[in-house]
Amino acid sequence: MNCTKCKELLVAYVEELLEEPGKQSVAEHLKDCPSCQSQVEELRGLHDRLVKNGKAWARGDLENNVMNQIVREQNVRLKATAGATEALKTRRTIMKSPMTRIAAAAALIVVAALGINYIMTPSVTWAQVIEPILNARTIVFDLILGTDETGLVMHEIVIGSRIRRTMSNMPNMTQIIDLDNAKLLGLDTEVKTAVYVDIKGDLGDRTRNYIKFVRQIISQLQEGQVQELGERVIDGQKAIGFTGRGQNEEVTIWADPRTALPIRVEAKIGQEFSFIMKNFEFNVAVDESLVSMDVPDGYTLQKTNIDLGNASEQDFIESMRIWAEIIGEGTFPQTIGTESTMKAMPTLVQKVAAMQVSEQKGTEICMSFAKGMLFHQILESQGQWKYAGTGVKLGDANTAIFWYQPKDSATYRVIYGDLSVKDVAPENLPK
Amino acid sequence: MSETDKSATRLADKYYVERCLDGHPDDFRYLVRRYQAALLANLAGKLGDRDRAEEAAQEALVRAYFNMAKLKKPDSFFSWLLGIGDRVAKEHERKEQIQRQREIVRSFAEEACGTELSQDYALESAIAGLPDAYRQIVLLRYYGGHSCTEIAGQLDMPLGTVTKMLSRAYAMLRETLQQQKQTQVYEVEK
Repeated sequence: MNCTKCKELLVAYVEELLEEPGKQSVAEHLKDCPSCQSQVEELRGLHDRLVKNGKAWARGDLENNVMNQIVREQNVRLKATAGATEALKTRRTIMKSPMTRIAAAAALIVVAALGINYIMTPSVTWAQVIEPILNARTIVFDLILGTDETGLVMHEIVIGSRIRRTMSNMPNMTQIIDLDNAKLLGLDTEVKTAVYVDIKGDLGDRTRNYIKFVRQIISQLQEGQVQELGERVIDGQKAIGFTGRGQNEEVTIWADPRTALPIRVEAKIGQEFSFIMKNFEFNVAVDESLVSMDVPDGYTLQKTNIDLGNASEQDFIESMRIWAEIIGEGTFPQTIGTESTMKAMPTLVQKVAAMQVSEQKGTEICMSFAKGMLFHQILESQGQWKYAGTGVKLGDANTAIFWYQPKDSATYRVIYGDLSVKDVAPENLPK
Repeated sequence: MSETDKSATRLADKYYVERCLDGHPDDFRYLVRRYQAALLANLAGKLGDRDRAEEAAQEALVRAYFNMAKLKKPDSFFSWLLGIGDRVAKEHERKEQIQRQREIVRSFAEEACGTELSQDYALESAIAGLPDAYRQIVLLRYYGGHSCTEIAGQLDMPLGTVTKMLSRAYAMLRETLQQQKQTQVYEVEK
């Protein structure tokens, strides 16, 4: 092999792309050729530098910032421009379907689950003292469903008893919740429709509890009522950690050691439900009009009659049927629970739209699905349930897909693949 | 590697692009994850500063998302993204009225400090200056974690061509880095 030929192959040699004979002849030539040798060393130096730098850059993490900015910007853009922007007009999005507002309302229900339970050994008197102070403030934060940073992100702006909420899986939906009057205003910023939903009863209470939950975390930090984990760097800043355990939940809070304000909260409730809260901003100036309950100019108000109160076992069974029949095309889902429900919601909306049923009927289907999952959320907080329906076919009368123990009951309710239900003694439960 | 495997990356890009267009914006995060390092490195090379590179990369990604419908060939997402990144970098430079930072002395000084993250922007700056086709290959290979075979599949060219272009890219990088060094010596002396 001569030098010209060898030099041509050197990068492939350094990159280890040469097959055995070629590799060997380069190696042999290198032994006796100081010129090529010095060149291969130089190339290797450059190669190592490239690899090293590549690794260093791979550590960057833009993902969440980008996704959050997209959600925010989408809302701003749609608000700012009279019509939807050119790019969005051309998108074949499912959000154009008349089902959007239903999905919005349904998503609210799902999120209310966060408010079910916040036992964490509260001290009532201190909470009472601190609450007016906390109530006077605004809180802005992101809530990520799941245990890592890849889940759905909800951006929340809390001003007094009002909440403005956007979600990364439904970027053109904005929900404004008025806790005092137990009302929700859902806005579809793309098709410019608005809808009011009553959230009296259960749902309203739980949404309120969810905000209390956030506030309670702050007050408990100030009280020091949780086990200390020591200092660590969290999300790029120095933080002190605490863990609080309740009957059925575990919450870890990382806070700024100087101000005691939380930086990051990681929570696990029941068997299936985890979330992370981060990017907290307390007491920032927030435009009050963001939480106005008035229908914005240019929006059409849609009439709805949505009843979300008091979900029953029958509602839950109906939602399992919808899940298997419509979303799962005949098979029960991998998992159930708030996170899975949130993820399944856009698919359901899409599939129902494709079924070309009347809007009335479509609304009913989506609402039944959401309502049934509300029933499950209450079980979640009590921890007395088991899902075994992964991969089971709808109609399979011999396989139990779900069982739970109703409050104050000696027996369990077992639901089978054909959606029949039996009362079963604890010793006879499916294994 | 079969033809199907070779084009797997390209197909995956296309899949995610279409998912986004079909109203699953959350799937955009997979594209972010795949290309953020390569985009960042390229922008750091152009802007000479990590924070500014991050800012520009974020802007480029968000812009890409909102202009996705304009992407004619969904399987060439990365080269399209690089183009957007270039424009954002230019705008940033103009806006801030800062000359393109080729302050080699500074970046070498930073390197000498031994910071954990390699701040040797001299290299990224040299990469950013490569002709488009070469730049794309170097970025995908070292900053995107692609093998040469994967790159061949993604760019739809024979492996031999990728290796040849990579060799040529090495030669160009060496030349630029040597020039930078000379400039450095010159600047230190004056």
